[in-house]
Amino acid sequence: MLNTPTVTMFDLHVVLPAAALVFGAIVLMLSEVFLSSPNRTYMAVIALVTSGIAGVVALNNAFEPARLVLQGFAVIDPFSSFMTVMVCLGTGLASLLAAGFLKHRNAERGEFYALMLFAAAGMSLLAASNEFITLFINLEVLSVATYALTAFLRRGPRPAEAGFKYFILGAFAGALLLYGAALLYGATGTTRLSDLATLLPGAMATRGGLVYAGFGLVLAGFAFKVAAVPFHMWTPDVYEGAPTPVTALMSVGVKAAAIVAMVRTFLALVNGLDPQVPFILFSLLALLTMVGGNLLAMPQRNVKRMLAYSSIAHAGYLLLGVTALFVPDAARSSDAGGVLSATPLLANAAVNASVYKGILFYLLGYTVTSIGAFGTLAAIERREDETRSNTWDLERLAGLAQRQPGWAAAMAAFMLSLAGVPPMVGFLGKLYIFSAAVDAGLIWLAVVGVLSSVAGTYYYLRVVVYMFMRPAAADAPATFRHWTTEVALVVSAVATVALGIVPGPIAEWLSRAGMVFGG
Amino acid sequence: MAEQVLFWVFAIGTIAGAGGVIAVRNPVASAISLVATFFFLAGTYVLLWAHTIAVIQVLVYAGAIMVLFLFVIMLLSLTDHGPIVQLSPSRIAGALATAALLASLVGVFRKLPPGDTVTWATDASRLSSFGTLKELGAVLYTQWLFPFEAVSLLLLVAIVGAVVVAKARV
Repeated sequence: MLNTPTVTMFDLHVVLPAAALVFGAIVLMLSEVFLSSPNRTYMAVIALVTSGIAGVVALNNAFEPARLVLQGFAVIDPFSSFMTVMVCLGTGLASLLAAGFLKHRNAERGEFYALMLFAAAGMSLLAASNEFITLFINLEVLSVATYALTAFLRRGPRPAEAGFKYFILGAFAGALLLYGAALLYGATGTTRLSDLATLLPGAMATRGGLVYAGFGLVLAGFAFKVAAVPFHMWTPDVYEGAPTPVTALMSVGVKAAAIVAMVRTFLALVNGLDPQVPFILFSLLALLTMVGGNLLAMPQRNVKRMLAYSSIAHAGYLLLGVTALFVPDAARSSDAGGVLSATPLLANAAVNASVYKGILFYLLGYTVTSIGAFGTLAAIERREDETRSNTWDLERLAGLAQRQPGWAAAMAAFMLSLAGVPPMVGFLGKLYIFSAAVDAGLIWLAVVGVLSSVAGTYYYLRVVVYMFMRPAAADAPATFRHWTTEVALVVSAVATVALGIVPGPIAEWLSRAGMVFGG
Repeated sequence: MAEQVLFWVFAIGTIAGAGGVIAVRNPVASAISLVATFFFLAGTYVLLWAHTIAVIQVLVYAGAIMVLFLFVIMLLSLTDHGPIVQLSPSRIAGALATAALLASLVGVFRKLPPGDTVTWATDASRLSSFGTLKELGAVLYTQWLFPFEAVSLLLLVAIVGAVVVAKARV
């Protein structure tokens, strides 16, 4: 006799945003077959409407109480629901960017938008996964979709190289994560994160080495996905080779989903471990990523590569927030009996709440800013210079203020926001993250973060200087304008400035209690 | 005892086959090595009482997928065997990191206590049902329903992605 699982509508709320996205993707693929209109901007509109619907559904979920659903394979909590809202925002804006970008290249296809929506569905499910196999499958859904998107436009040698490199390295990182999960299963006999949290302290007594090995491998797998130094080698090549709207989606969506899944996983995995170990590992990762990303971005004259390194630096600030979750309680760590002490790390609920708020607000700010920055690059990029090596050189931005004053003003806002200059949203995001880190006692790490972000101002402002103070080259080509690109840029620019001045209700929502299930 | 011997045969065979995949120069020989790896892996599954998985492994991987691999290799007639290993600082660093990972994992596994003995090894009814298609289906469709459905999404994405990558230039 089979024990049929009871799945109620209440359980299915968690998959509704993903279901809407998948439905939209299927509609797009069918439209490719049945509608052969030469004007295919409607595809971007379908993608936009779909991500809008999914975003509204996810926002509705965000005000439900946190709970385990679907036999414990997933959780529904405000943390993952807000992340889904941001992913939907990013996907909608990226598909608008793609409309103009692909039209200019005569490459509009339903599959492109469908893959974008599939990737968003994977991100949404990944953020809600509460079990290693589910987590791995959803990670693969989003990864496979982005591998294919990276190699979508195959003109010149770079896209094929980028797609191949991303695929091989991504598969390798996925294997590391899976092997780590297998070792943790060997130590505890479960793959559910909430069960791991209760079983790990017991398993530490007899199989401590196995738990640490699994922990390290899972950490390496996630570090690859969020592009943390020293697992960042693929980022500049892949970000540069992918079509620019895809790069925009990767820089916001993949990173946001991986950070949320990372937080959820490690909140469970640190139970029973010597609290110093995760703390030192995360501190080191955050430190290297913040400093490394900014230092590597400085010498770049290629703006797209510079933004790729800058996205590494921004992953570092997010990791600083994650580190703040794992600060050992000073009083406890002094008398902890070493490895076996089952110290509850998550004593400070107030700090954790401010960390979740910081991470989510930072992700929101980074979503609109990064989409805008890559979007401006996508708007300036010309089909004719695909084969040229200096497509994204700083010189291409010279004199943009005279040629396209609106775009130059928007790009200046995005650069200032990335640098963390008030009143842009990037400043508030950094403020929330750094103040949460200081509250958690990570004063030195926060100081390093602030200093490295000040150093980062150099390469962001250089872009502004080129746009406003250098004369345009005489042979600067005319830009290709399309209304979708303009809409995406205007929305991102307005959001970048407005969220920085009036964080208002959104910051209120993000500081709700019970953001993370069990956290 | 016989189980132990079989385990070592299958384990060494799997690793040797996997090593052959990357060490052999001829792509066809490489694919055949992969087939051997899959067979030895199927043997390991049988030792774990996972008969159904073992049969699927042989039928699907060694049978269907590898035949496709071989067709593709032969159709492309890949004869360009470049040098396999070129020493460079990053490769040496990678080899060192891999060796360090291997050494630490071996250290971890050597310290493991003996595993729990299976308490139902003499339970005839359990033995006859464990690892069968019926049991597997029951577990898959009741206890693991959500991951199972998620796989269907993964397969759909993989198909669309493969079509996008394989089609002519856009």
